Amino acid sequence: MIRWLPFEGIAALRFMREGWIQTIFILVGVSLGVAVTVFETSILTGVQANFLKRVLTSQAHIVLLPPDEVARPLHDGPGIVEDATLQRPNQRLRSIDQWQTIRATVASTPGVRVVASVASGAAMAVRGDATASISIIGAEPEDYFRIVRVPDYIVAGTWRLTSDDILIGTDLATLLGVTVGDRLFVTGRSPTPRALTITAIFDLGSKGANLRTTFVAFRTGQSLLNLVGGVTSLEIAVADAFAAETIAQDLSARTGVRADSWIKTNAQFFTAVQAQNTSNIVISSAVALSVAFGVASVLVVSVVQRGREIGILRAMGARRGQVLLVFLLQGGVLGFLGAVLGSLIGAGLLLVWHDQVRQTDGTELFPYVLDPLLIGGTLAFASVVGLLAGMAPAMQAARLDPAVAIRG
Amino acid sequence: MAEDALLSGIRKSFNIGAPAEVEILHGIDITLEHGAFCALIGPSGSGKSTLLNIIGLLDRQSAGRLVIGGKDTQGLDDAALTRLRGETIGFVFQAHNLIPAFTAAENVMMPMLLSRGWADAAMRAAAEALLDRVGMTRWRDARVGNLSGGQAQRVSIARALMMKPVLVLADEPTGNLDTAAADGVFDMMHTMNQEQGMTFLIVTHDPRLAKRCGRIIELVDGQVVQGAA
Repeated sequence: MIRWLPFEGIAALRFMREGWIQTIFILVGVSLGVAVTVFETSILTGVQANFLKRVLTSQAHIVLLPPDEVARPLHDGPGIVEDATLQRPNQRLRSIDQWQTIRATVASTPGVRVVASVASGAAMAVRGDATASISIIGAEPEDYFRIVRVPDYIVAGTWRLTSDDILIGTDLATLLGVTVGDRLFVTGRSPTPRALTITAIFDLGSKGANLRTTFVAFRTGQSLLNLVGGVTSLEIAVADAFAAETIAQDLSARTGVRADSWIKTNAQFFTAVQAQNTSNIVISSAVALSVAFGVASVLVVSVVQRGREIGILRAMGARRGQVLLVFLLQGGVLGFLGAVLGSLIGAGLLLVWHDQVRQTDGTELFPYVLDPLLIGGTLAFASVVGLLAGMAPAMQAARLDPAVAIRG
Repeated sequence: MAEDALLSGIRKSFNIGAPAEVEILHGIDITLEHGAFCALIGPSGSGKSTLLNIIGLLDRQSAGRLVIGGKDTQGLDDAALTRLRGETIGFVFQAHNLIPAFTAAENVMMPMLLSRGWADAAMRAAAEALLDRVGMTRWRDARVGNLSGGQAQRVSIARALMMKPVLVLADEPTGNLDTAAADGVFDMMHTMNQEQGMTFLIVTHDPRLAKRCGRIIELVDGQVVQGAA
């Protein structure tokens, strides 16, 4: 007999052992429920974290842009509009006014990790008879590549960016039939084409991005886009990515330029995350309810089967509270053991899934991370659900009239 | 001589659907002196088990006064009745009613386990002494489901005596046993009564065994017709 346990604990374990078939069935039920929850939540969290990591390492947290050009109505006097029909002007490529001052302001703002000056715009890449419409991003690699982790996505070559170098995507390389070391002619707003050497080919995981995005040195970008001395944007990485919107609003108010945070520009992503999390909560709640009803039904049957024994225990001096605890503990133990087994099964399934299911580029779909908080929370939650599920049958047991129970 | 149980004007009624009410016991007056070895006899339906349940504090009388071990049970709540029952009364049932999930020794220890505060060694020593006394030492670690009816009833007697109760109530303890086993169990209870001075009240249908008791209380139609005092 396990004497370090009080009577209630011993009786709960013995009753469970004696009814081992029922115990195994309900443990399997609880385990499967918990395994589904652990598996689903871990995958969801992992995929979201992976996606978030990709988003945050392939774009700036905040982009400062020149304000939109607007047409102002012509007034013929106070309150008199000369022409009521206003046509929105086209947004020509132009530099941010006083960008050096703004950059200094941004760099000294608390929470800002790095600022990169960028000259970007549309251009044309030519290789023999093949041409492609591309987007060139001219940036200082020392700063810019700390924001957008281009070096992490390079599949051939090195990320050297002198004034005559260019980095291109895999799909553009295929389209133009080029590889590392080859030269391309690039024509931007400047009428003079530049011959640039391909120093690296990258794969950003998106066909569109791999076909159109190219990186050149900052001054090369300015030259190609006819923006000598200017920048089209200031790109910023902040220490806390989720504080980006607040910092963006602050910067916009202080500098007068447009500041778009990644949170604002990826609103759909957050909506999708919210929807996924809601569906996960609904599924987990349904699983928890199934587990609770499963445990409760087994304990109700157990109370009926053990009615005479409960009567005997009461005759021998067992208080109602002791009888209550015997069945509550069974619920709690079933919940806890089921959660332990379920967590192990969920972790195993996750490992198999992690190894078998990859992204199109062969990288992992999600990191194999078992959040201790998730496991701890699941164990605690399942135990509490088990205890609560045991409440009704335990009260039924405690209320039994011993004389009636002994008679059977 | 001191009384271990005093019943005065005990009545018991059951509602079988309003307004019908059936009275099972009609004013029972019984005194059980300390160390008595009594048989409670009577035809089926005479109220023996109901009376035993009331004396054993498993059920409450509708009217009348009940004193157990010198303590008036009037006004005691469920917790107090449970405590009094655990400390002063031992039960032996017809179908032994041991707990199958526990071994013979653990079943004997059960009243002490429930009352808490007992050292493990003390419980084990007391249980082994009683199992030895009822001749069940060999089976102390056996699952009770593997014991014969007579053996299980011996374990049941040991369990009833574990808390050294002032009163042992036995409800047809030999009802399920053959004659030899019944004699053995009856002898065992008689010996315990003689050696330890505990009061026994034994419900039996067996006139042969009843005659061996020092006193016979006969119940007919909810009334004591013989041996009230």
